[in-house]
Amino acid sequence: MMLLESVGRFSIRQAEYVGRLAIQFWYCLRFSVRASPFKGRGLRWQRTLLQMGDIGVRSLPVLCLVAGATGLIMALQAGAELRRFGAMEAIVTMVGTTMTRELGPLMAAIVVIGRSGSAISAEVATMAVTEELDALRAMALDPIDFVLVPKYLAMLVMLPCLTVMSVFSGILAGGVFAYFTLDLTLLAYLSRTAEILLMRDIVSGLVKAVIFGSIIVHVSCLEGFTVSGGPVGVGHSTTSAVVKSIFLVVLADLLCTTFFYFFWR
Amino acid sequence: MTGSTTELRDLRHHASREPVISVRDLKVRYGERTVLDGVSLEIYRGETMVILGGSGSGKTTLLRHMEGLERPTEGSVAVKGVDLATVSSAKLTALRRSMGVSFQSAAMFNSMTVGDNVALPLLEHTTLAESTIRVMVRIKLQQVGLTHVEDLYPTQLSGGMRKRASLARALALDPEILFFDEPSAGLDPIIAAGLDSLILHLKSAYPITIVVVTHELTSAFLIADRMCMINEGRILAVGTVDEIRRNPDPRVRQFIRREADQPSEASSSYIMGA
Repeated sequence: MMLLESVGRFSIRQAEYVGRLAIQFWYCLRFSVRASPFKGRGLRWQRTLLQMGDIGVRSLPVLCLVAGATGLIMALQAGAELRRFGAMEAIVTMVGTTMTRELGPLMAAIVVIGRSGSAISAEVATMAVTEELDALRAMALDPIDFVLVPKYLAMLVMLPCLTVMSVFSGILAGGVFAYFTLDLTLLAYLSRTAEILLMRDIVSGLVKAVIFGSIIVHVSCLEGFTVSGGPVGVGHSTTSAVVKSIFLVVLADLLCTTFFYFFWR
Repeated sequence: MTGSTTELRDLRHHASREPVISVRDLKVRYGERTVLDGVSLEIYRGETMVILGGSGSGKTTLLRHMEGLERPTEGSVAVKGVDLATVSSAKLTALRRSMGVSFQSAAMFNSMTVGDNVALPLLEHTTLAESTIRVMVRIKLQQVGLTHVEDLYPTQLSGGMRKRASLARALALDPEILFFDEPSAGLDPIIAAGLDSLILHLKSAYPITIVVVTHELTSAFLIADRMCMINEGRILAVGTVDEIRRNPDPRVRQFIRREADQPSEASSSYIMGA
């Protein structure tokens, strides 16, 4: 009986969480129109641009390092096996497709979760604790409109851009490995990669980036909005935002990959 | 001086008996805990109502319901004739433009300068030119006794200055109703007295309804037209300043005289070591 109760309570809580995310997402979409540069005084447009710098530009160096290292690791690991079969040429295909379809978007998402997801939830949670969100409501401004929408739009633009850079750094790192082990010039490596890659690979990677971006912003903001218990709660909500974002991003990745595997060949 | 103030109070008190805010039988529960237990209160146009009560008495919860930050689930709260339980979000937005709120923690947006904080409601809700708004911001800040702070960030201000700045922001849209949560909390007596005289100035300068939540007695008796005393989620007494002073209820008298709770027999004998 105890087990049944706790399973029930857990399910209700998860369903409530998903419901909250859905409502927040719907409101966010409704308000998003107002961030158009041609509407109002362009205040939201300005905030969106600022966020773009924060989420995108400043994540770039660390993302390039992480993605480059990932590409190199993959080339090394694959090389160790492929060497035995004399199929070292296959490294080009492996690194190119896996980075584009899978690891490029995933690494971009994970770096952005660590840098921006935690920052977003800490910022929103602090605003909640210091009554700033109430002050917005009291001024007839919706916190979703004012706080979430600029971050969301910035993320929708920047995460695909970061993904492109992440894919590129990964492939480039693979190229460096190929240069030293296969006597393949960088240009030849890149043109061969370009030959193998299909539009499908690139589009599926970018679709993932859009989905991951939505998850990161909405989960982080929701954790911030629903913070309770003062400054300790802020720390708690930040941790929870990072953990939930990573889990949901990986889950979404699995679902997307399954979908593309079966329905888009 | 004192006589004329009293006359003015009486005048305000009798002239307009039109309720701006009416709370009827409001009950609020958070889980098992009852925070407000059947509160009814009318606040009339142009008066200054002070809600007095100790910590945890439910006074801030009552204020949050009047501000429309929480929706009533049992009982009703109506502001300017609009029921807040069933109001549409568009109508609530319109209603909020006629309300100004000054929060206990000032709640200034730390990522913006003081000037931008005060300008925000004007930028969002009016079509005034930006140069006009800058001038208005300066006027609003001067009204609360602040000059040359527009370009500073809220964290660079002292507690009292931050409170004043948040009042300037609350006044930006020339509200009909001004809510004030603990104006003097965390401030030294001199700055607190300065805020009191600021509220008195506002009262005399504008036909504004002011609702103040506080536990500071001196400030309460100074600024109030009427007072409401709340304890453990229930209203103990409502009336003019004099009526509250003469109220025979022992708990009201205890609060006004600032007496500590009488220790119960068991605990006092324990202290005595008997």
